[in-house]
Amino acid sequence: MRDTIVQGLEQAYNNLVHMIAEFLPRFVVMLIIILLGLLVAFVLRYLLRGLLGLTKLDRVSEDAGASRVLRMADLPSMTELLSRSFFWLTWIGFILIGISVLGVAGLQEQISRLFRFLPEVVIAILILFLGLVAANFLSRAALLAAVNAGLPSPRLVSWSVRFILWMLTISMALEEIGVARQTVIAAFSIVFGASMLGLALAFGLGGQELARRSLERHFGDARKEEDKEPHPL
Amino acid sequence: MAEDTFLSDDLLRQLMSVGEVDLLVGITSHSSAQAIRQAMQVIEQSFQQNFVRQRVVIVNIDGGGPKDEAEVSAGNSDGQPEGNPHVPILTSLRTVHHVTARFSGTPSQGTALRTVLAASDLLQARACAIVSPTTSNLTPQWIANLLRPAYRDNFDFVAPLYTRHKYQGLLARILLYPMSRAVFGKRIRELFADEWGFSGRLGTHCLNQNVWHEAAIHSRPEAWMAVSAISSDYRCCQAFLGPKPQPPTGSGPDIVEAIRQTVGTFFWCLETRAGSWLEREGSEPVPTFGPEHELTSEPVELNLQRMFELFCSGVKELEPILSTVLERETHAEIMDIVAVDAKTFRFGADLWVRTLYDFASSYHHQVMNRDHLVQALVPLYRGKIYSFLQEHANSSPEEMEEANERLCLEFERQKLYLRERWTKRVEVKV
Repeated sequence: MRDTIVQGLEQAYNNLVHMIAEFLPRFVVMLIIILLGLLVAFVLRYLLRGLLGLTKLDRVSEDAGASRVLRMADLPSMTELLSRSFFWLTWIGFILIGISVLGVAGLQEQISRLFRFLPEVVIAILILFLGLVAANFLSRAALLAAVNAGLPSPRLVSWSVRFILWMLTISMALEEIGVARQTVIAAFSIVFGASMLGLALAFGLGGQELARRSLERHFGDARKEEDKEPHPL
Repeated sequence: MAEDTFLSDDLLRQLMSVGEVDLLVGITSHSSAQAIRQAMQVIEQSFQQNFVRQRVVIVNIDGGGPKDEAEVSAGNSDGQPEGNPHVPILTSLRTVHHVTARFSGTPSQGTALRTVLAASDLLQARACAIVSPTTSNLTPQWIANLLRPAYRDNFDFVAPLYTRHKYQGLLARILLYPMSRAVFGKRIRELFADEWGFSGRLGTHCLNQNVWHEAAIHSRPEAWMAVSAISSDYRCCQAFLGPKPQPPTGSGPDIVEAIRQTVGTFFWCLETRAGSWLEREGSEPVPTFGPEHELTSEPVELNLQRMFELFCSGVKELEPILSTVLERETHAEIMDIVAVDAKTFRFGADLWVRTLYDFASSYHHQVMNRDHLVQALVPLYRGKIYSFLQEHANSSPEEMEEANERLCLEFERQKLYLRERWTKRVEVKV
């Protein structure tokens, strides 16, 4: 009886030692990979920050209005945000590779799913950024055109353009990451269609005079007396 | 030639059959066949009357409009012009050659000018002129006045001068002329014109510049040519042509489009030629053939109230944009004058100059999309025009000219401000 217990304990001890002997090198390898990843991520962050500084991304971002949104969200500059994001993406990638070295059952599948999902997240972020840039550019163009043409409520025109583009961008980004795909498409179609119908009705019923004046200004033979300005050239 | 492949085979064939010439006149605008035919007749009359012994050619840039060559051509198969009741005697000793450059679509003004320059380079023309068939009162004397300084007096750039109504061409008089004079140091009044002359030397110099892909060149290449001549120390002059046939109000180019094209091109010229003007001080007159300027003052009805409303609403609506473009003090002063009553409103010369210099510097530093920046100037221009016209409602042309001279001197006085802002390192606020 006593021998059996001792034998069992020895067996358990041997198994534990064997497991530790097997696990410890993997753990060390994981730590090395994570530390190496940290180093690589730091270097890449430094290089990316320098590269983005050379391309004057912050100025483009400021011009596009993206920096304003970042400031509102208490986020750093575009260059800093991208370099930090790149740092974390790189390091998380190394961490996941390190964890996969441990060979824990079930974890491999989860990690590979996460890796498959990452590109979609990056693309969604890219869509959001480009949509933001386009929305800001076009809404400003609409504002300037409306102001210079003397149209009433130029800011409303500008905000309408911005709102429509934001809706489009957000729907595209959500669809990219597969969040409630059907709902997003349906919601977008309803909101967009309703907005267009509303604008058409508002312009057609409430703004007949404005529509007539606009068409006359652009396609009429002569400008009305009230629009006369000194010849610029 | 700058590029062997630029001209079409057909055009090259036509040019080679012409040989070398002394004078070349290019028609770059795309009008009706009737207008082009009339312009060609005027050019031919000018050759007959003023350049009897010279070898001459007319280059017509055809944008493929609703016309055929037989319809457009002013001459017969021998190249001789058909009879014209207004010209009693035709005395040319030379053949007047006609060359037509065809484009499948309507070419831009830049492409048209480039074609004319390439033709001039190939034909070794000594003096060239560009005319527009849209100018309804083009006369043979105009052509002669544009060609003669380059051909006989060795000038390289011949800017036109016109008789204008005192309310006409205000963009040139309160913005383009004073600012270009202060910046580039030469008193050339008409940087943006439909007619101008130049020497073959300057034409070849411009042809060889690597700028023809630039958007600014496509719409208004003439100002770039003038600035190239000034900043490369070519000899410039002005030649008086006559009355500019535009109504002082209405039916002209859209004010926004005019500012986008002219001010956008002018700011682009400042940007690309910064090395030549940053250290330049003062300004000097250029030789002028004929009167320096002529203003007329027939009564004209203007809707000034509408301009003031557009100024006020524009400044308020564009506040976020203007605060980015203008210095804080300049912006604050503009916001102050918006609140003033229309009758006492004045957009002072000092503020106007600082506003424009802020815009030019912000264009240089690319604080936002450059086309948007130029468009944001439109309400301010309307405010300045309103103030100018209020101030000079009863002024004589001479008094307006004196006021214009004072404005020019203000631009020159504040050039240091432009230099400081231009060279200041702008940090993006993050």
